[in-house]
Amino acid sequence: MSAVRFVFPKPRLAKLLKMPGGLPVAEALERAQANLDTIRPTCMAELQALLELTEARLEAMGESFDDEGMADLYAIAVRGIGGGEVCHVPAVDLALTSLCDLLDHLRTGQRYDRAAIVVHVRAWRMLLGMGDQPGTAAVVDGLRQVSSRYAA
Amino acid sequence: MALDPASRSRYNLEDASVLLLDDTTLGMSILVQIVTGLGAKKLYRCTDVDAAKEVAQRHELDLAIVDGMSPSGDGYDFVKWMRTNCQEPNCYTPVIITTAHTPATDVARARDCGGHIIVKKPFAPIVMLERIIWVAKEGRPFLFSGEYVGPDRRFRDDGPPKGVGRRREDNAANAQPIPAEADEVKESRLAS
Repeated sequence: MSAVRFVFPKPRLAKLLKMPGGLPVAEALERAQANLDTIRPTCMAELQALLELTEARLEAMGESFDDEGMADLYAIAVRGIGGGEVCHVPAVDLALTSLCDLLDHLRTGQRYDRAAIVVHVRAWRMLLGMGDQPGTAAVVDGLRQVSSRYAA
Repeated sequence: MALDPASRSRYNLEDASVLLLDDTTLGMSILVQIVTGLGAKKLYRCTDVDAAKEVAQRHELDLAIVDGMSPSGDGYDFVKWMRTNCQEPNCYTPVIITTAHTPATDVARARDCGGHIIVKKPFAPIVMLERIIWVAKEGRPFLFSGEYVGPDRRFRDDGPPKGVGRRREDNAANAQPIPAEADEVKESRLAS
């Protein structure tokens, strides 16, 4: 049986946060959002570049189980999560999360469903152009249904 | 943990040394914009674990925001390294772990690396500020237990279960009057 030891550190951060000055919550949030707005074009370009990489990698994948190909797709898709929110296309983040879920489930279960992957990648392209229009939720719901079919 | 976005409370991150670790340009860019917007000025931006280790060995850190770095999960290893190899105070530095997606095989690794809290991407600035305030709270013990080194993960305080009052009140409410001892029992005890 291993010994358990407790320590009660006092993080300096607690004191720093309370120091005079600083920013009111509302102002801090406004500034952060304004900062994010400045990187929106580069984020959109990055999402577009990742999509093109994904499409090219998918094109090279065959019809049978391709673990390496799915690992590559996962590595590309996971890099884009978070960018959708900044670009005001939050559904893209959800679609990418669903794609990562799908690839993770498929690889864990040693299975392969090319059509399920393709529908996610096509939806990614479509959602990127849709913005925050109504209808995106239905697309994301559909993708989740597809990926959840392979959940353990 | 919820923070009112219209709150007039002030928080000062100006003098906080913050380590940021994210291996993606998109992730790092978003993180930097949020954290600087919230008022942090002393940032150490690291895109790989080696650079982060060097920073953690050379500078006193008040906060670390570390991406899990899926699919490799190297970010979790860095946090574990920080907990077990760094000198004080950095071994106790509050760590917020960010993750875009955690593969099933990495869930335990993420849980056991010693971070204070995990934040799923995408995250809004208010979420990051709430988590920063939360991890800064004093009083959360650090646990050294075999393989695990990090903040005690049993931190929820939900109060007593619904429908159950405080123990003292329960006792008061449920207390049965002690039955008076029969006279013959009292007498026999006294006699003995």
